[in-house]
Amino acid sequence: MKALYVEGGTFLHLMSPRLKLIGLCLSSLALFMIYQPVPLAFAAIASAMLYLSLRIGWRQSWVRMRMLGLTILVVALFTLVFNGWDEAAAVLFRLTALALAAAAVTATTTTGDFIDELTAAAYPLERLGLVRAADLGLAVGLVIRFLPEVLSRYDAIRDAHHARGFKPKPLTIAVPLLILTLKNADEIAAAIDARGIRRQK
Amino acid sequence: MTTRDLVLAALFTAIIVALGVVPPVMLGFIPVPITAQSLGVMLAGTVLGAKRGGFAVLLLLVLVAIGLPVLSGGRGGLAVFASPTAGYLVGFLFAAIVTGFLSERFVKRSQSGLMQTSAFFLAALAGGVVVDHALGVIYLGLVTGIGIPKAFIGDLAFIPGDVLKALIAALAARAVIVGYPLLPERGAERA
Repeated sequence: MKALYVEGGTFLHLMSPRLKLIGLCLSSLALFMIYQPVPLAFAAIASAMLYLSLRIGWRQSWVRMRMLGLTILVVALFTLVFNGWDEAAAVLFRLTALALAAAAVTATTTTGDFIDELTAAAYPLERLGLVRAADLGLAVGLVIRFLPEVLSRYDAIRDAHHARGFKPKPLTIAVPLLILTLKNADEIAAAIDARGIRRQK
Repeated sequence: MTTRDLVLAALFTAIIVALGVVPPVMLGFIPVPITAQSLGVMLAGTVLGAKRGGFAVLLLLVLVAIGLPVLSGGRGGLAVFASPTAGYLVGFLFAAIVTGFLSERFVKRSQSGLMQTSAFFLAALAGGVVVDHALGVIYLGLVTGIGIPKAFIGDLAFIPGDVLKALIAALAARAVIVGYPLLPERGAERA
């Protein structure tokens, strides 16, 4: 699985991940407190310039943003029909600014940096005894490690359907996929504990 | 959380991601493609229960936030949370927890198959349809300013598909509880 991070040496790449995330939170709060279309249009332009400065390329941007762009357009049209021009423009600009700023942060922060920030954010919860902060990184690693196996298992089950002349159906695929995948849990857990990765018991 | 619980949740997250990657399956009787990711969320609750199912979906949201394209159509990154439909995505978490909570209480090993399937169906319906759509509609209505009633009208088109997914999740969960039971059982019976 390829992350949405894009290599580069721009100002945003060099900025500390924590600062970027805090900045994104604050700017999204600010965007929701502004209601006039004109300042929101300026915010959208600023976000667009920020995004363009990363030089992600039009094709890659199209792949990344088309679903989101479509959602924003549909919502803006909906707003136009029910609430008129002013509010539709405000919604369009606000959501565009937000989406582009968030995409810029995602494109300039590595997966590892994000996990470090999440782990740091989870430490107060660990002190309360709710979660173990280090488990988060382990769990993310497990998902990325086992996703290809789940996908190849899916292919095998689908081929088994075809070999027997059955049409693959959601139910007849889901059940073997679930049971075959989850049956591995005991072995994987034993392997993790044998290596003392979670340092318990 | 034991290591086994952690691994079960992580494997389930991988299944939910896989369900978003595979091509949508057409159902025979209606011409609507089933993108199976919300089915995966309901399955997380019905198969693993509230705690592990909730953790599996939380992990999915973490993967989205850290910039992996794990949602159907290759979507991912913080921009997804900035979308007007983010309420449905965050709602997945509560959907899995509610579905799991109700499954643990309604479903007993001693029940007949029909009873178990019906109980799973009600749990998936409450979590995956009622809770998820309610959160999605509230966020959509508030964030765009179109208001909750109008957002609800737009939402109605997606309800039949999700009811169908709840039914599939119920049948699958019943088959899994027979083949490889994982759901913790709660209630008066144990006392």
